[in-house]
Amino acid sequence: MSLPWLAALDAVVSHPLFAVGITLGAFQLAQLLYEKTRLLLLQPLLIATLMLVGTLLVLGIDYQDYRQGSAILTFLLGPATVALAVPLYQNVRRVRAVLMPVLTTLLVGGTLATVLGVGLAWLFGAENMIVMTLAPKSVTSPIAMLVAEEIGGSASLAAVFVMLTGMLGAMFGVELLRLCRIKHPAAMGLTLGMVAHAIGTARALQESEEAGAFAALGMSIMGVVTAVALPLVVAAVS
Amino acid sequence: MLLRGLTVLIFFQLLGTGLNALLLPKLPGPIIGLVLLFAYLLITREVSPALDQAAGGLLRYLPVLLLPPAVGVMVHLADIRADLWAISGSLVISLVVSLVFVGWLMQMLINRQNRKKAQQGEQP
Repeated sequence: MSLPWLAALDAVVSHPLFAVGITLGAFQLAQLLYEKTRLLLLQPLLIATLMLVGTLLVLGIDYQDYRQGSAILTFLLGPATVALAVPLYQNVRRVRAVLMPVLTTLLVGGTLATVLGVGLAWLFGAENMIVMTLAPKSVTSPIAMLVAEEIGGSASLAAVFVMLTGMLGAMFGVELLRLCRIKHPAAMGLTLGMVAHAIGTARALQESEEAGAFAALGMSIMGVVTAVALPLVVAAVS
Repeated sequence: MLLRGLTVLIFFQLLGTGLNALLLPKLPGPIIGLVLLFAYLLITREVSPALDQAAGGLLRYLPVLLLPPAVGVMVHLADIRADLWAISGSLVISLVVSLVFVGWLMQMLINRQNRKKAQQGEQP
């Protein structure tokens, strides 16, 4: 007697909840791996993405089908982006005393970080789609993905660039800053949050509470300013 | 509680979507919603526990919500390979330069503000 294994596998894979199931599963597995090892290189989002890409390739599932199946998760991305206003507000309140230095640094430094990334990519002869995707690389992923798509880049590539930038910044940022005699916790934290978003913020928290607070502030203002300014600037230039 | 906070977030997202279609086609709806909610919080000067709970919950699971779009990278493998050097070069160089510059600028501005405050303290 032989059981209809293939038919069973097919039934499971084509179930409407399959995409959601593997997404939740992959994330929790990646999270567990990160918590056990505490290696910055093993960012849950990155590892889970690799696991999911592998799974889809092995099972021969099209990305479009997976995307449709997991739409229920994507629906919540909008409200989650709106929710970023809450930590932004809380962080702005906390550091009112040094708000002017913070805003100046954010405007000047944020512009430099964005223009430099775009300019270098263009100089090195990257395709326009890649250049536009690199523009929001210093910003937290939900914003970067929305903005990249808006200005003619790719949301998923933006997620990868954001992740790489964050990991590099978190791995070498503190040492590099120390080397340049930048030791003020506010300066250190703000820099990590602005340049390396959530991953940099996590790294700044390891340094001190104050550095962490400034990193969170840098990340949230940089995100919102980029989200508002970048699409408008790109529209004006092109 | 959680539902009430979620309702607020969805309300601002829909408000953003409406404004996006009506006036600001260049800005994504959720971003407009974010700015509006931030302005609302600045005016009311308070984050209600319901909103705090809903925002905190959603943001904690943000990576899960980002996974489906991130997996789309499998469609772009050829693009990455084609521009590999341009991508890694501009990522690394711009990261190093902006890290150092931003850190230096912020430290300089804070020191200057502290010096000014000290001077004002000396001459009442």
